[in-house]
Amino acid sequence: MSSEVTAAGKPFIHHHSAHCESGTTSALFRDKGVEISESMIFGIGSGIYFGHLPFIKWVGLPITTFRSRPGTLFAKASKRIGGKFFTKKYHSAKKGMADLRRVLSEGHIVGLTTNIYWLTYFPNRFRFQFNGHNIVVLREIENGFRVSDPVLEYPVDCLTEDMERARFARGPLEPRGFMYYAENVPLNPNLRLACIAAMKDTCNMMLRTPFPFVGIRGMRYLAKKTISSPDKLGFKEACRRLANIVRMQEEVGTGGAGFRFMYAAFLQEAADLFASAELAQLSKEMTAIGDIWREFAVVSARIIKQRGQAEETFAKAGGLMLICAGREEQLFQELDRIAKKLQA
Amino acid sequence: MKVNEVPQDITYYEGVKRACFALNDEGKYVVVTSVGWDDEAVVNGLAVDDLAATLEHTRKAVLAGVKSPLCYHMERRQMTPEILAKTAGIAAFRVKRHFRPEIFAKLKLSVLDRYAQALAITKQELMTVPQK
Repeated sequence: MSSEVTAAGKPFIHHHSAHCESGTTSALFRDKGVEISESMIFGIGSGIYFGHLPFIKWVGLPITTFRSRPGTLFAKASKRIGGKFFTKKYHSAKKGMADLRRVLSEGHIVGLTTNIYWLTYFPNRFRFQFNGHNIVVLREIENGFRVSDPVLEYPVDCLTEDMERARFARGPLEPRGFMYYAENVPLNPNLRLACIAAMKDTCNMMLRTPFPFVGIRGMRYLAKKTISSPDKLGFKEACRRLANIVRMQEEVGTGGAGFRFMYAAFLQEAADLFASAELAQLSKEMTAIGDIWREFAVVSARIIKQRGQAEETFAKAGGLMLICAGREEQLFQELDRIAKKLQA
Repeated sequence: MKVNEVPQDITYYEGVKRACFALNDEGKYVVVTSVGWDDEAVVNGLAVDDLAATLEHTRKAVLAGVKSPLCYHMERRQMTPEILAKTAGIAAFRVKRHFRPEIFAKLKLSVLDRYAQALAITKQELMTVPQK
């Protein structure tokens, strides 16, 4: 946590967040006087997810995701909590940068979608071509902008040139300078209503999906694929695939265990909100599931490090994933049942 | 994960800390900063080594005259021909064609300018690759 000043001269408290999109959204709400935590936003935006997309490749590897599609978290959270948000995409970089300056000078703090590769304040090993990173711009400074990047501990400076490249990077999921800020938000939003809608939506996405690649079905599909991967692809390629899953789970700002701990934190807050012992129990179960995901990461790292010499096998890694799938299925079925009973 | 179980292995974060959710002694979730995790460094290392190996392979190919420097600089920016094509405003099939050194050598200055701009390097850099 550290204090900053926005263009309007208002104090801004930078909170260190685990995930960029939930961190940015909660920062925008907090700036307008609604105290709301990152995990709450994550839950209300239905951020938790699972998907394995074998037909979409990223650096030659199929995409595995533990979160909903970039952009949907902000859209869902802002809609469910209420409030008026200005959102815009641009065709012209010049116009996009001019608009950013204008809005900052009007005293708003602005959320931006950027490409993480061109944000040079990150260490080199964090930088890769990914067009869904969200940041908050506080004010303009000489040659650049003061930026509160939610996944960093402290606010940083960003050069104008880097900012323009990052906002208007091309490629998959182009941000096109996507910019958003709160125009007005209700000071006492009905969080209970928002939570119920979000929980039902999450259960739908995880349990009742027609596609075999997403939700619990996707988890089982990937687990089976992982178990058979060393025979089908060879040890080296299987390791690359496995490493990619673990990277998506741990590395890209998840708060640990592929967002499972963050969702457990949301369930805990929701339990307080509704004074529901059942939700508190689910939060504990989610933590336990997260711990199994962490174990999966540890086992995977051992497989990769010891190059097949140890007792850790792909079958064990896949087996852990199957356990997670089974327990998450039960958890979301239970959550679905509880969410239907809750009173807003 | 409990607060005291949050891994604090000094790895590759280069001083940057990461936020993790963990349970404190009262069983409440709090955000704890972590300086790194060995197991995560292993998987990240695999991916980074992969990229570095491909880049090194390309660099040698450029020096041997099999590929153009454009290919090297594109990979250095972790781009694909499709991303570079869109960024520079040049059709993807042309970008791929420009990976051939004999065609790259004949490119007009205006085309080189667009590549240099898209890759955020100078034209001199674009024409060469590091010797070692």
